[in-house]
Amino acid sequence: MDKLRSRIALGSAYIVLTLYALLSLYPFLWMISSALKSNQEVLASKSLIPSQLHFEIIVNTWDQLNFFKYFTNSVIITVFVVIGIVLVYSMAGFGFARTKFVGSNLLFISFLGLLFVPGVTVLVPLVQLLKALGLIGRDATLPQTYFGLIMPIINGAGPFSIFLFRNYFASLPSELHDAARVDGASNWGVFFRIFLPLATPIIATVGILNVIGTWNAYIWPSIVLNNPDWYTLPLKLKDLDLQIVIQWNVRMAASLIMITPVIVVFLFLQRYYIRGLTAGAIRG
Amino acid sequence: MAQASTQAAYRPMSGRKRKSFRQHLQDNAGILFVLPAVITFLVFGLYTVIYSVILSFFRWNGFGKFSILPFACAPPACQFAGLDNFAYFLYQEPTMSGFFWQALQHNLIMAVFVTAGTVLVALPIAIALNRAAKGQTIYRVLIMLPMVTAGIAVFYVWSFIYEPDGLLNSVLESVGLGFAAAKQGWLGQPDRALTSLMIVMIWSSVPMAVILYLAGLQTIEKDLYEAAVIDGASAWQQLWNITWPLLLPVTVVIVITSINGVLQGYEMVYLMTYGGPAGHTEVVGLQIFKYGFGDQRQLGMASAMSWALFVLVFIVALVNLRIFRSRTEV
Repeated sequence: MDKLRSRIALGSAYIVLTLYALLSLYPFLWMISSALKSNQEVLASKSLIPSQLHFEIIVNTWDQLNFFKYFTNSVIITVFVVIGIVLVYSMAGFGFARTKFVGSNLLFISFLGLLFVPGVTVLVPLVQLLKALGLIGRDATLPQTYFGLIMPIINGAGPFSIFLFRNYFASLPSELHDAARVDGASNWGVFFRIFLPLATPIIATVGILNVIGTWNAYIWPSIVLNNPDWYTLPLKLKDLDLQIVIQWNVRMAASLIMITPVIVVFLFLQRYYIRGLTAGAIRG
Repeated sequence: MAQASTQAAYRPMSGRKRKSFRQHLQDNAGILFVLPAVITFLVFGLYTVIYSVILSFFRWNGFGKFSILPFACAPPACQFAGLDNFAYFLYQEPTMSGFFWQALQHNLIMAVFVTAGTVLVALPIAIALNRAAKGQTIYRVLIMLPMVTAGIAVFYVWSFIYEPDGLLNSVLESVGLGFAAAKQGWLGQPDRALTSLMIVMIWSSVPMAVILYLAGLQTIEKDLYEAAVIDGASAWQQLWNITWPLLLPVTVVIVITSINGVLQGYEMVYLMTYGGPAGHTEVVGLQIFKYGFGDQRQLGMASAMSWALFVLVFIVALVNLRIFRSRTEV
């Protein structure tokens, strides 16, 4: 009786999982299948399997929209954002968790308080600041504009990243620190040689969170980037919206090209990501 | 041990002497680790926050000059307004305040339904995932996919699903529920647009909640359930008396982040409906954005409204913490 009951429970667990997995996957399957169909077929047939495979649509979309250029722009911005965030906030997290200085608690709390300031609040002031610094506008160069784009994104990721890094470093055994100090290592040595290498799960977590956020960001880049040559992928994709006749297959192909890199990064790092995320959030 | 006792022995003497500047620097050397974060925060965080607070007391259309360092506000483009901005959108200006309260209402509806929906969908999935030892990784990866692809790509897929001749309508028609189809599209019909948006929001916020719940479930001792089974507790009683209370701290995290995200967020609304049709999906964040970057700019108004939003977000978070803390401690 009990065995039967537990079998039913397990069976229903798999049914629930399979149903939801399909639900979460379906839009992506639809995206892939539509990217391989002709536009008429996308509209006419709701079948997932294309009657004829049009691989050329993906290739053409990549070429015609000059995707490589915007792809590169997106990669550059995302890489700088993620490196900046990991470097600046792993140090800060270590500083809060493992060193003492006057006012450290107050400073930590004021960082956390920033979580409640809506992002939209500072959009207008940020634009004015970047203008005043000459980082955006007609005379600004590409590096200047990208710098102006990147720094506020890094700052915006600050509170949550510091929170995750601090919790993680605080959870590591203090013997690590003491032993290294006895051996005469400075705080910097301890951080770079011992703590940072141990922080892979949390680096992966913070990294993925911000790869996803930056790669998909639309509103902030659309405000800062006024030269179409400097656009990121999402901005280029939004341009498709302006076409008079919507070509759904091109849209889907473009979306597919856009999400693939993030999915690949995610698949490689998901194990670390989950570990880091749950360690940081549950313990906090 | 020895070191600690010697330190304790001479501390009273040296404590009275003023520490040298060098000693101070050494004691606080840890601040160097925090310094890059602090500098970034001062320039791009604190400065902009202060700017926004000050701007909320002015009327400024974005032309002409307004700056806080050094202070400048040149009429007629910029004028001191006192609390006028706040008064206008809160009650004084009928159209403006009407839009604001309507948007706020949408925010609150979303906060309640998206959060409840996320919890109600995520918990059973996490429980199922916890049971399913075989294939857990693959299921987990599949279920997590929606959180990887926020933004414009999601907007395109879902907008096709919601189109008048899109996926959802055809599915409904093919199973004989054609009368339920949305003739003007799910995002185009005033009575359905908000619900349709909330479904996308739940879809994209469930994965994170599942991960957090799964981590929480893995910390619950199996003995508890075995003891409950011996006492003759039903599956429902186990869920209600063991799983739910022990997962409450996780639920708190999910509820607070979800409400916080929904009240602050507007990017999905911006991309999918831009507040339409006819303001039926307008949210406060989007309205602030329109005052800041739309056709008729009222930058002081944008700032004032965003501080009202901040107060709301902050109070809701505090109330949540209070309610849940008293529950978890009892």
